[in-house]
Amino acid sequence: MEDSVLTLKNLSVGYDEPLISGMNVEVFPGEIIAILGPSGIGKTTLVRTISGLVRPLSGSFELNVEKRGGLGYIPQRLGLVRHATVAHNVSLGARAGIGFSRHMWKQRSQRTMEALHMLGIADKSKEPVRRLSGGQQRRVATARTLAQRPQLMLADEFLGELDHSNVEIVFEAVQTLVEKGTAVIMVEHHDNNAQLFATRIWNIKDGKLQDLSLDEWNDRTRGGEEE
Amino acid sequence: MKYRLFGIIFILLFLAWQTLNGLIEGDWGRLEGGFENLTVFFSESMWPPNWSVVEARSYPVCESNIEFFCSVGYIGMMETIKIAFVATVLGFIGALFFSSLAARNLVPLYIAIPVRILLSATRSLPSLIWAILFVIVIGFGPLSGVLAMTFYTVGYLGKLQYETFEGMASDSLEASRAMGLSRSSILLNVVIPENSNHLLSQLMFMFEYNVRHGTVIGIVGAGGIGYYISTYLKFLQYEKVFALLILIFVVVVIIDLLSMMIRSFVNDEGDVRRPTWLNLVLTPKEK
Repeated sequence: MEDSVLTLKNLSVGYDEPLISGMNVEVFPGEIIAILGPSGIGKTTLVRTISGLVRPLSGSFELNVEKRGGLGYIPQRLGLVRHATVAHNVSLGARAGIGFSRHMWKQRSQRTMEALHMLGIADKSKEPVRRLSGGQQRRVATARTLAQRPQLMLADEFLGELDHSNVEIVFEAVQTLVEKGTAVIMVEHHDNNAQLFATRIWNIKDGKLQDLSLDEWNDRTRGGEEE
Repeated sequence: MKYRLFGIIFILLFLAWQTLNGLIEGDWGRLEGGFENLTVFFSESMWPPNWSVVEARSYPVCESNIEFFCSVGYIGMMETIKIAFVATVLGFIGALFFSSLAARNLVPLYIAIPVRILLSATRSLPSLIWAILFVIVIGFGPLSGVLAMTFYTVGYLGKLQYETFEGMASDSLEASRAMGLSRSSILLNVVIPENSNHLLSQLMFMFEYNVRHGTVIGIVGAGGIGYYISTYLKFLQYEKVFALLILIFVVVVIIDLLSMMIRSFVNDEGDVRRPTWLNLVLTPKEK
């Protein structure tokens, strides 16, 4: 069996009070995990803790990824440089994903162009991000992660209010990463998206994480246990 | 809300009035006749402006076809602009370095605090005092002016820049940190582009400020148009001083228009309608 990319060891997250406690789970390459649960329950805090932006309240977690470029993160507000061009934003991912080498410039521009084409935003490459629509900006954020090729991708509601066609474009891109072994953890508000793409569900309920397979989740929702 | 705002403005005005009254010890009689004095000084000593300052000097002989290029006004103004330009560029780069080490969202507090103290120390000496120091160290001339303005620019712009950086939205910083980008890469590729509008505005403001202050530091021998202003003041040739002040005003207005044009390339307003040179001066018609 492959090594896990992330292991939570009795992890508790929150700010002053724990929001979710006692988490013990592992994430393996190629998995897509959707974190579900009502607003304010700690989904974002969990993702921010794993990305290293918030300290764990107790317990620990082990990230088995490259220190530089091994972790991709799309925050709720996407984290784009609004005054820079689309190409610049996407190249940031490539910059993080490619270390210093003789051919780094060529590799960076190659990866950037590939990601731009895959997300269908190559024609917007010279436009400042602030001029794009919300859906296009989500595609830019995804292209950035695609160019980075991280081992673990964390995404906080990055599908947002995207229409169906945009969701498909974005997820096709994510799927190419997954095929290369990237594990994806995404905070989701819509059960539909989770059902379509996730391989596992982390359901947050009463301050605890329930690690469920898709079948288990479907059984529960059919049984009317969850909304 | 509106009444609260009026209330705050009223209280501030009242406090300012009381403070002023205390400063002049209630002696408002000093204002008596002040306006007449000003009118007499202006009409008899400054008016009309003596435009000989924009005509060619008698010595050295003018070799240009256009007399203006050999005039005191042009030569002095150009030297001031050059001093201000070099000082602004060097000061801006220096300020970027220090401000990135002073912003609390970019570096830990134990680095930010000492750098902030250093910037405060640099800023607490006005450029005039820096100019006097450099005139003592390296003698009269434009180099003293350049160094004086550079030091002051680092302190002044440094503060504006680190406050701008601290005010930026945190999501782009968080994403790039999580991605594993280095500190220098975050500064160059995230922080500076994201704040480009403010940085450009501050840069142009500082250039304009340095041009205006070039007149002051010139007085202590640090070169530029201030040298001529100081000379004319000594010989009580106020109408020539007035002509040079008008010249400085024109240059400041031009810099302001330039600033508006340059910033339109990075601000949101520019996305909708970029100003032409003409509508920088004349308000464009609403469509």
